[in-house]
Amino acid sequence: MPTAPAPLSRRALLRATGAGLATAALAGCGDPTSAAGRSSVRFFQNKPEVIEYFAALVAEFDAAQDRVQAVHDSSQTPLVPQFVRNAPPDLAAWNYNLEVGGYVSTGVLTDLSDLPEAQRVDPKYQSLVDQFARNGGETNVLPYSVTSAGVIYNARLFEQNGVAVPQTWSELVAACQTFRAAGVTPLYLTAQEVWTLQQGLFDYCTGSAVDVAGFFADLRAQGTDAGPDADVSFSKVFAEAAEKMVELASYANPDSASRAYADGNLAFGRGEAAMYLQGPWALGEVSKVDPALPLGTFPLPMTEEPGQAAARVNLDLALWIPTASQEQGAARTFLQWLMGPKVIARYNDDNLATSPLRDAAPLQDPRLVGLQPALDAGRIYQGASTYVPQSIPVGNYLQDAVRTGDGGQLLRRIDEDWARLAARSAA
Amino acid sequence: MATTAAPSSRGESPRGRSSRGRSPQPDDLSVTRSRAARRRPDGVSYLFLLPAIVLFTVFITLPALAGAFISLTDYVGFGEWRFLGLANYAVLFTDPNVLQSYGFTIGFSVVTVVLVNVVALVLALGLNARIKLKTALRGAFFLPMVVSGIVIAFVFNYLFSTSLPALAATLGLTGLEQSLLANPDLAWIAVVLVTAWQAVPSALIIYLAGLLAVPEDVYEAAALDGATAWRQFWGITLPLVSGYVVINTVLGFKNFLNAYDIIVGLTDGGPGTATRSVAMTIFTGFTSGDYAYQMANAVIFFVLTVVISVLQLQIIRRRGVSL
Repeated sequence: MPTAPAPLSRRALLRATGAGLATAALAGCGDPTSAAGRSSVRFFQNKPEVIEYFAALVAEFDAAQDRVQAVHDSSQTPLVPQFVRNAPPDLAAWNYNLEVGGYVSTGVLTDLSDLPEAQRVDPKYQSLVDQFARNGGETNVLPYSVTSAGVIYNARLFEQNGVAVPQTWSELVAACQTFRAAGVTPLYLTAQEVWTLQQGLFDYCTGSAVDVAGFFADLRAQGTDAGPDADVSFSKVFAEAAEKMVELASYANPDSASRAYADGNLAFGRGEAAMYLQGPWALGEVSKVDPALPLGTFPLPMTEEPGQAAARVNLDLALWIPTASQEQGAARTFLQWLMGPKVIARYNDDNLATSPLRDAAPLQDPRLVGLQPALDAGRIYQGASTYVPQSIPVGNYLQDAVRTGDGGQLLRRIDEDWARLAARSAA
Repeated sequence: MATTAAPSSRGESPRGRSSRGRSPQPDDLSVTRSRAARRRPDGVSYLFLLPAIVLFTVFITLPALAGAFISLTDYVGFGEWRFLGLANYAVLFTDPNVLQSYGFTIGFSVVTVVLVNVVALVLALGLNARIKLKTALRGAFFLPMVVSGIVIAFVFNYLFSTSLPALAATLGLTGLEQSLLANPDLAWIAVVLVTAWQAVPSALIIYLAGLLAVPEDVYEAAALDGATAWRQFWGITLPLVSGYVVINTVLGFKNFLNAYDIIVGLTDGGPGTATRSVAMTIFTGFTSGDYAYQMANAVIFFVLTVVISVLQLQIIRRRGVSL
């Protein structure tokens, strides 16, 4: 029978065991080791559709030189914890959004402005980066792939009903009425999935009507005075756009409230509606349903002046190097190779996107060429919903607005949430 | 030290017998020591507890304390941060989205607990009766428990959005042609139904166990006295399984307050914000850079859950049942 140890020593044992376990648990995180004298670069890229593409690209780079070894990390690990552990990737090719904007403004990304590649980026695309966040005069993020979106339309239904691509708001409404009179659903909405309302209906309607980047710059400058009655508010600046938006939504399929993104692609591919508010990512899905269906895209007109409609753009991929990377030189070498004119052009041609470099080739795909004039003229915007922090559930408010037809309430709710957020952030 | 000595006369006493099995029989000299030993358990039992204590502390207690501290700051998880005091909490109580999520979650939990308990008890009575195919039926009713919540939610999402409206249209039932999930006033009913569908089996198991524990002879006595089946249920069955009702209510309420996966798959908090649960609201903090604020929400939710649990434990103690 064991004799009970003295209480003190028992406690000491407990403490020692606890400390030992904790040490063992924390020892899991090791340093990346470079293989055979080559610097190893962890390249973070996890957009599912192009993982294989980049895997081949990484292999090509590794074979082309013997100083840097790029290691492709295509895991879906969130970025925040990687920064929290102070172990971010050495180089990332990732969607540029408000989250990455947060990394820019907190100063955890390196300045790339001294690279010759940074000078070759078209300023109209580089400025998209600054619209979300800035870190002094630094260039922390280089655009890699620009996707542009507008209204996808069924060219066959347009032709059959004698409707031309609308250039003004009135023409758009007239087109909807023509389709409705002919028994064709003018517009297909998938309101069950709120992101589809956000990126399509809300962003298109506001983007062609309002200087989105300017509005959000003013709104941020206004600080804590925000709210529906403030000088700069959604309720004031977006009022007309929101009215037109709910009017447009009234031409949607009657069962839109219970339709999801996949339902929309299927229905549109079957020719059940004339227009569809989705980005180029939906084109492949729609064409899968009916490869022969003639599709086109036009920027949504919101004014009475022809040629004013703008295209929604998105930096689908952008490159950045964290300051915490131990392999700055090697990461820059790989970044420069990726930014090579041929490599970057090949990627964008293959993925229905536009290269952000100066004098890049225009869009080739017949389904997207309708957006090229807007891109050439610089009539581009990043969607208004992408400027709003995710803590404000814009998509859910939109769902209500589409159902009730009350655009004013939508804007008031966003204003009030924005004011609360501003008050909290400034406290 | 020998403890296997023959029982002394003291060991035969009723007191000694009652303590048998809990601790070795004390030999004649160790009355006081054995009492002391009973009060202070063997050192070995601490060793058995150690892994659980260490794991719980490292993975639950410490992160929770860290979260509570972060709720007093504007920390987003990395980079610089400032100490805000109770500012996050002050805003929390004026945020209509947060308040609505609390209202929805509590209302949803109460309704679901009642529904689950009523349905489970009725099913348990049925499955406990002398019926054919008892085992097969029990198996069928337990099935929802082993299917993952998110899978159930997606299946029911399809049924509510596509199958049910199509069926209603065929049968000419106007009013059901629009999806339940698309109606902000009725979507909660769909959430309650699907959650209950998944939660009934676990309550059912507990009720079946409870019914088995009710002795047969009390029913025979009641039958001799001429009690109807209805009277027997209210007079015998329900009082004798009331402890199990309490257990099911406590366990169910705790689960439903944390509702997350089924709602995400079913409505994603919609239409609008009609079915956003507290857990969903807290979770947005991870993706939106609103980490500290939602940590404050989590602390409030934790306090609320503790208060509810303590109240329920009080009721349990009074009922004389243990979990």
